[in-house]
Amino acid sequence: MTEKWERCIRLKEPLLTKPFKFMLGLAGFAMLLGLLREVSGLGYVTGLNDGYAWGLFKNWNVTALTALGSGGYAVAVMAWIFNERKFHPIMRTAVLTSLVGYGTGMVALGFDVGRPWNFIHIINPKTWNHHSVLLEVAVCMTAYVILALNFENMPPFLERMHKSGDPKQSERALKIFHFMQSTFPFWIALAFVLPSMHQSSLGSLMFLAGERVHPLWQSPRLPLFYLLMAYILGFACVLLVLLLSTYVWKLGWDEVILGRLAVVMSWLTLLWLVLQFVDLAYRGVFEDAFTFDRYSIVFLAETLLLLVPSLALQSAYLRSKPSYLFQFTLLLAIGGLLYRFTPTSIAFIPLGHYTYFPSVIEILMSAGFTALAVVIFLYAVKKFAILPASRSKIAAEAAIRPFDTL
Amino acid sequence: MRDDMSPAVPPTVRPGLDRRMFLKVVAQATAAVGMTSAMAAKVVAAVEKGARPSVIWLHFQECTGCTESLLRTSHPGLAEVLFDLISLDYHETLMAAAGHQAEEALESAIKKNAGKYILVVEGAVPTKENGIYMQIAQKTGIDMLKHAASSAGAVVAIGSCASWGGVPSADPNPTGASGINKILEGKMVVTLPGCPANPYILLGTLLQFVALGKLPELDELGRPRFAYGRTIHEHCPRRAHFDAGRFAEEFGDEGHRLGYCLYKLGCKGPSTHASCSVLQFCEVVDAWPIGLGHPCFGCTEQAVAFRVPMLKPAEIVRPTPPSTYAPVAAPQGFISPLATAVGGLIGGALLGAGWMASRGMKEKPGTTPPTPPPNQNPDSSDKE
Amino acid sequence: MDVNRRDVLKVLLGGTAATAIAASTAHIAKAEADTIPPLEDAVGLLYDATKCIGCRACMPACANANGLPADRGASHGMYMQPEALNSLTKNLIKLYVAPDGHERSFIKQQCMHCVDPSCVSGCPMQALHKEPHGVVGWDPSLCIGCRYCQIACPFNIPKFEWYRVNPKIVKCELCRHIVGKTVSQPACTQVCPTHAVVYGKRSDLLAEAHRRVKENPGYYFEDRVYGETEGGGTQCLILSHVDYSKLGLPKMGPQSNASRVRRVTNVIYQGFLTPVVIYGGLVAIIRDRWKAHLEHVAHDRARHEAKETHV
Repeated sequence: MTEKWERCIRLKEPLLTKPFKFMLGLAGFAMLLGLLREVSGLGYVTGLNDGYAWGLFKNWNVTALTALGSGGYAVAVMAWIFNERKFHPIMRTAVLTSLVGYGTGMVALGFDVGRPWNFIHIINPKTWNHHSVLLEVAVCMTAYVILALNFENMPPFLERMHKSGDPKQSERALKIFHFMQSTFPFWIALAFVLPSMHQSSLGSLMFLAGERVHPLWQSPRLPLFYLLMAYILGFACVLLVLLLSTYVWKLGWDEVILGRLAVVMSWLTLLWLVLQFVDLAYRGVFEDAFTFDRYSIVFLAETLLLLVPSLALQSAYLRSKPSYLFQFTLLLAIGGLLYRFTPTSIAFIPLGHYTYFPSVIEILMSAGFTALAVVIFLYAVKKFAILPASRSKIAAEAAIRPFDTL
Repeated sequence: MRDDMSPAVPPTVRPGLDRRMFLKVVAQATAAVGMTSAMAAKVVAAVEKGARPSVIWLHFQECTGCTESLLRTSHPGLAEVLFDLISLDYHETLMAAAGHQAEEALESAIKKNAGKYILVVEGAVPTKENGIYMQIAQKTGIDMLKHAASSAGAVVAIGSCASWGGVPSADPNPTGASGINKILEGKMVVTLPGCPANPYILLGTLLQFVALGKLPELDELGRPRFAYGRTIHEHCPRRAHFDAGRFAEEFGDEGHRLGYCLYKLGCKGPSTHASCSVLQFCEVVDAWPIGLGHPCFGCTEQAVAFRVPMLKPAEIVRPTPPSTYAPVAAPQGFISPLATAVGGLIGGALLGAGWMASRGMKEKPGTTPPTPPPNQNPDSSDKE
Repeated sequence: MDVNRRDVLKVLLGGTAATAIAASTAHIAKAEADTIPPLEDAVGLLYDATKCIGCRACMPACANANGLPADRGASHGMYMQPEALNSLTKNLIKLYVAPDGHERSFIKQQCMHCVDPSCVSGCPMQALHKEPHGVVGWDPSLCIGCRYCQIACPFNIPKFEWYRVNPKIVKCELCRHIVGKTVSQPACTQVCPTHAVVYGKRSDLLAEAHRRVKENPGYYFEDRVYGETEGGGTQCLILSHVDYSKLGLPKMGPQSNASRVRRVTNVIYQGFLTPVVIYGGLVAIIRDRWKAHLEHVAHDRARHEAKETHV
């Protein structure tokens, strides 16, 4: 039985649950390990070497996690470009996942670079190498987080400020809110252009490695594939988060929104797969996918992990069952993440016999940064009105607040 | 004998020596220390002019090994050196005089050749308690040294004792034995460390002084570069064994008998600057420690000799590649089994949790929300 | 879907405009994207593996000239024994032996100082840049330690000081800190006893290499010089009698990876024109939607208030 999500609510559950404490502990531990990294050097805390200079932090926390964090972008595109108004109730959740995904990605990046004190030069465009794809990624991501994501995540915060009881705060909140309302299109357009640029650039990064990336992945269409996968994983992340939130906090099961998300995600994935195979054929490497060596197996695994769930989610029946929806979306997400992760790591073949596997500290740090994202998410949904809920969950009818426009 | 018209043999040279023999002596002497024949000609010219430099040789805290070592030269022999090349005006071991006669000989030599004589010092000088631990005729070593050095043309410290303290200065150094350069602060001292010093180094230094009127190029410790510019390791006959990784592991084992490198038996060649590997001793091939199968103990180096234990491996100054080569693609990187376990655990835990969660997801998650019953104020639902 | 014709038209129009602009400025993009030719006064090395005797005098010479301590890790402190280039080793002599032993060759590995380097193209802050005479140099004051250069370099040259708090990128810079000041050539070429590796202008070295190939037909592998065109050309050239790929030198076509990247980014970005145009189009579309949204919300509010007054 579907219940329509209409309002964003603040969860009244206690914050310091066991899982929250565990995540907080893990995140805190990762920060301590990060401190260790700063005083000792990357070689001591990671398994990185000269052949595999990019490891878990860049490949998982930045490349993969920001793809998951493209939910705000993907859902906003659906709502604002394709005019699917039904997505407005989940907009706050989606942009929050984006904020925490990108935010912790930037934290990991901060720990990963070897000479962070020279970051200051980034404010001086004269030092920029405008041919460098990595520069584009860095500048664009930073601009996105500082400008667009913060803007998009302000409403729940402003709302709380407005109701805080202090007239000055309330006044200020209202002022900022009116400013946001009057300049809304400019910010949102920015929130679309910037991630298109850097999500595709994350793909272009590997052009420079040329033949050091296995031909199954190295393609001139890498930016397109990465961008499309960002949309797909964005939808997947929002779906998973909403399904889990619904399950844990009993928010009500809105089949229309979730089903729609799943359908769009499914079609996009099928489109992605078609484009991928056409690209393989066009480049003449189709046979490489079936040699069943280690690379072919990874490729087939990610293809199957994408193909099976996307086909399954074409079925309205399967979409209507939360457990199947969750399982297939999870599998699809794993496939997509595997695709984003692979070109810089598994499919990267430096000269010489290099092997790389993250060290224990590296794994714990990466996990801790991911846990940080979860912690911030949990904190936010319990302090601000973010998660969607059906009216039946809100016992009393509430008047529409002025902030409901966002 | 030739007639006196041609200066065939310098008049100061001993009688009975013909020009041919004289030239041979000079050639041997200069060749032994690596001087060119052009240099030899200069030596001849200098000696012909009557320039046989005066040498005053002092002994302090020493075993006389350096003198003994000098006695065992034959190219040239000490006799040729003493009679044809230098004028040895004071030497306690070799001179006939004794007692007050000897003291007078020293004083008159110093006065007569003031500013021109070469002062050779053998032995360390004790400095504790104002140097009372070495006195001759109630004069301390420090005073004797300073007095003799004050009007010397050049000061040469022969042997490790005079160069930096040598064996008397080994811990705990009860007499405060010190090299003479520490006592003659400010004066340029040529140091020729070694225990004993190789006599040809002294000969080479003296001959250069005779021929060119100046001392050879010295390093920062005052050691002539022609003899102390390289470590033993850099010119060792057993170096090929080191580079190929062939070592004697114990005295008398197979490797030792085959003449393999002695690094693992504590050879200090890699940190010892000396010329023993080239010059050897007593003009017998392989008459030097390593040649005889015993590791070098670093007798020229203050930081090594009598300080570092015999069997402790030496610090290699300026290492170079071994005889093996890096392959075109050497394996790099390490996969920690613990890390794979941790990674697998985390991944598995997440998947498992996800699976468990998904099993519990239903369309109707339950009618009673876990939140407390709301109050009747319609404004309260999304307030604090 | 709620997309109406007007919206579709808007998006299509915007896209067409962008593409048109892109096409018209494509020729500018192409010019910049093509592989860069070598500088007139580019300098480099010519290493002839057939003359190298593997004495490795170049290795301690390089370490001394660059103030690098010996890498003794693999030998318990006894030898300078790096297994590969690393943060202590800018120059390495390696030995290739065929599995059946029928052929061997030494190979000297150091930065190839490419004509159109991938590392320079990728470095976000221009820390890796081309110095005078085309030498690829590294500037510590700009480097952020992102290690993109390590991903980019086809020869796997830049090495990173993983175990330091102030880590540097370490690679051969043709002794640019002393050449022209206290010496006239890099340390490795200075000490080579057989002149297997020589220093000079790239054009001269290439001419010399061609001369050697011509005068000894069939002697050098495929009668060609490695580095003449590979990856856009390298300033350090290699001659060998053995297949170059067996010596760890990758097979590369004449187009540099850097030019490939430039081609794509220039076409996509058109010097930032495309993003601006798309931004403009999006603002127009969203403004429409936003207005409609505000109307919807006002309508909802009115309806709700009406309901409340009825309750």
